[in-house]
Amino acid sequence: MQQIAKQTGQLVAIIGPGVLWIIVFLVLPSLYLISIAFLSNDPYGLPQLPLSLHAFRELAGFGLLGWSPGNLYTLGRSLWQATFATILVILISYPIAYYIATRPVHLRPLMLVLIVVPSWTNQVIRAVGWMNLFSPGTPLANLSAMLGFTEPQMGLFPSQFAVVVGMVYNFLPFMVLPLYAAFERLDHAQVEAARDLFATPMRAFVHAVLPQTLPGLLAGTVLVAVPAFGMFVVPELLGGGRSSMIGNLVARQFADGANWPLGAAGALLMILATLLGLYILRRAARRLSSEREMLL
Amino acid sequence: MRLFWYATMLFLYAPLAVVVLFSFNAANSPARFAGFSLRWYDRLMTNDALLLAFKNSLILGVSSSLIAVVFGAMLGYGMYRFRHWHLHWLVWLIYLPIVMPDVVYGISEMTFFVAMHRNFGIFEPGLSTMILAHVSFQIPFVALLVHSRLLVLDPLLFEACADLYASPLKRLRYFLIPVLWPALLASFLLAFTLSIDDFVISFFTAGPSSTTLPIYIWSAVRKGITPEVNAVAALIIAAVGIAGLAALVYHHVKFRFSHSVKT
Repeated sequence: MQQIAKQTGQLVAIIGPGVLWIIVFLVLPSLYLISIAFLSNDPYGLPQLPLSLHAFRELAGFGLLGWSPGNLYTLGRSLWQATFATILVILISYPIAYYIATRPVHLRPLMLVLIVVPSWTNQVIRAVGWMNLFSPGTPLANLSAMLGFTEPQMGLFPSQFAVVVGMVYNFLPFMVLPLYAAFERLDHAQVEAARDLFATPMRAFVHAVLPQTLPGLLAGTVLVAVPAFGMFVVPELLGGGRSSMIGNLVARQFADGANWPLGAAGALLMILATLLGLYILRRAARRLSSEREMLL
Repeated sequence: MRLFWYATMLFLYAPLAVVVLFSFNAANSPARFAGFSLRWYDRLMTNDALLLAFKNSLILGVSSSLIAVVFGAMLGYGMYRFRHWHLHWLVWLIYLPIVMPDVVYGISEMTFFVAMHRNFGIFEPGLSTMILAHVSFQIPFVALLVHSRLLVLDPLLFEACADLYASPLKRLRYFLIPVLWPALLASFLLAFTLSIDDFVISFFTAGPSSTTLPIYIWSAVRKGITPEVNAVAALIIAAVGIAGLAALVYHHVKFRFSHSVKT
């Protein structure tokens, strides 16, 4: 009995400071933010009693002037832009991960580093790079104007296109790495068996490659789609008002167009989306692999 | 396939290359390159706001990483030592900062600090609140790194310590720190990188006088991209490039070494 008490004391002394830090500076603030979502806002946009669900109605578009679809458009756009970017990332990552996995062993780490290095720079700097490339008068902007995609003298940003490109750029490594890990353990005998049975490349992929790389694909999809849904920097810099996403909507409620409860309601939605993503990942990971658990 | 690889490389490196290229642009527009010039770099050196932002970034990165390494390493050691206790809540708590969307993270910190400041007069937004926020997302990474290092150690080493009647302090001094120091150094570097690289959480917890480099670039970009912004960005890209190169060389040497041992 005394032994357990002593050990508990040691546990508290060792993990106490770190645990306390995370609780005080992350858990409590998040709970506070969530609680704001259930308050009403005063004339300055700050939270006040009484409790209400007004913020959620507002998030769904019910404002002072009746219902308007603006917020729902933003929500839908977040979903659609994140989905589109994720699909593009998957389409690029599959051949890349496969290509890396088929190179000589000593080249592979080098190639992986080459994929990852750009993401070591700051998000803002990466967006600046695309702003440079997409500015009016640059070769890319001229080309798209010549092909009739954009008005002459206009740049390629701000636009939904630029936002999607920026997100693909940001999240590519998050898909390539787990897919590469899956390809590295790929059982090529299955692929050869499929080829021996005269499977078309498409069928060989669907029946021999896809099932084996599914865990990697799934991990990558969650790693890309969840942060893409809550993206803030890219739509803010590369997109305009017509491509802003839920992260921007939330941030705006705490800045100029202050309405803290509305922003908190949006933040709660983002937290729920993240938890849903993690839940899907865990469920799928358990079902797909009998290997060790994902967490630790 | 090879072509697709090169196209992807172009996609990944063109934006960075353009930033570097146009930081040397004599003209003021990203539309045309009007000859080589260093004048934007000259201008950087005399830009006080920028130098202050650089200094703030360094202070923030170093101090937050130091705190995070100490508390994170303790947490990682605790996770290892009490691993038979099945502390599931602890695992959730550690993963929370990693999975939290950064906008929500930053805003919840901001509302919290604002409320504390209004009601109790503590936590005025500035470098100190940024350090508090950064440490909270650095601790989990340090803890996981130290924990994974401890997992590959021979458990008998711990018993040897106990058999020799090592006091907790001696165990720390003569066993844990010597064994863990590469992991501690690696976690310091990781924490520092995370801090320097962070924009969103810094953005929401910063005060008026605690602008860091990413925040400086952000507000400069909002006024329009200039070669001067490109020059700052190019310097950061160069730093990252050197780090990447170092990683490559390190890997190469290690590979050579492991091969020469085998043969």
